[in-house]
Amino acid sequence: MGKTKIKIDYKKCGPDGKMDPRECRKCLNVCDPAVFLMHPTLEEHPDPYNPEKWVVTPVWPDVCTSCGKCVSSCPVEAIKVSPGESLYKMRMHG
Amino acid sequence: MNARNYSYELADEYNMKEYLEEQWKNMETLFIRKIMGFSSIGLGYKMQMPLIGRFLRSNAEKMIHSEKPGRNPVRADGHFGQVIPLEDAQHILGNLAAEPIIKNYCVCRWMQRGVKDAVCINFGCLSQIIPKLTRYIPVDEKWQLDREEAIAALETQNKKGYVASVWFQPVPYINAICSCESPECGGLRLRNDFGLRTVLKGEYLMTVNRDNCQGCKACVRMCQFGALRYLPSINKVIINHDKCFGCGVCRHACKNDALQLVPRESVPGQARNF
Repeated sequence: MGKTKIKIDYKKCGPDGKMDPRECRKCLNVCDPAVFLMHPTLEEHPDPYNPEKWVVTPVWPDVCTSCGKCVSSCPVEAIKVSPGESLYKMRMHG
Repeated sequence: MNARNYSYELADEYNMKEYLEEQWKNMETLFIRKIMGFSSIGLGYKMQMPLIGRFLRSNAEKMIHSEKPGRNPVRADGHFGQVIPLEDAQHILGNLAAEPIIKNYCVCRWMQRGVKDAVCINFGCLSQIIPKLTRYIPVDEKWQLDREEAIAALETQNKKGYVASVWFQPVPYINAICSCESPECGGLRLRNDFGLRTVLKGEYLMTVNRDNCQGCKACVRMCQFGALRYLPSINKVIINHDKCFGCGVCRHACKNDALQLVPRESVPGQARNF
């Protein structure tokens, strides 16, 4: 079993999509192990004190338990999860 | 509890104002930035790799505890904390914290849980910078606090189940007392899931007095670290000292005076297990 892979389609969620993650935040809320991170994009922002372009990155796929709640709660169907082996499984049962 | 670590004198010496402004402007991007070719995305997996994993782990530890000149604010070098019980945190707010004192939305909870929760108490040089980042300033809530208000706010948060922690940013300058929740606290994530020493355990440990424990289980739901468990066979709560951070939060739920904090050194196997 490989690593868990989580992909977000930024054409659907993010500054170029129809959803601003700061408004939605459903994946962040629904994820028990808190896999997702919402952050300003790394580009230069016109006002660095108040960045306006935000995206969600699945920053800790290693603690994802592949429950699928993020996939079903995303209103714009932007999240794909390929279930794999979590860090916990690797350490305890590897 | 060294007063100098809280002082403006120290902040000026290290040029903290510019450093912290840069760190806080970029705080939410800390985990996605590439540092020496690697970002923290999938850090747990990366650190499982045979050689590269060890290299990454040792470099991450060096960054977290860095006291070297030329520290980089966007990497939050030298930014780590320690869990403390409510009494110690209140002592800091009452006596050591440099004014002004503010409470602002927790950056971790916003970026990892999507919740705005005004529980981070910041002071000294840092509390002059955070108001420039309006997304962290509470709406419809008093956020500029005097010492008594800060002490009371912390007590409310601690009794809710949040863990008090004191933070260097960067070491040795102390300017924050957070009320953390696991797993979305960035520090506790790295410590509890990846074994990096971003948050040190407290100077104390919790003990359960078997005679007083009535087996009501109320304390079990308070623990952010999964250190408490109820055993039906003996109708008592047991504690895993390896997991206990000595935060003292479970005490708030005990009506039978069965939970007591003891100095970490008094438990033989835990003496230096920070």
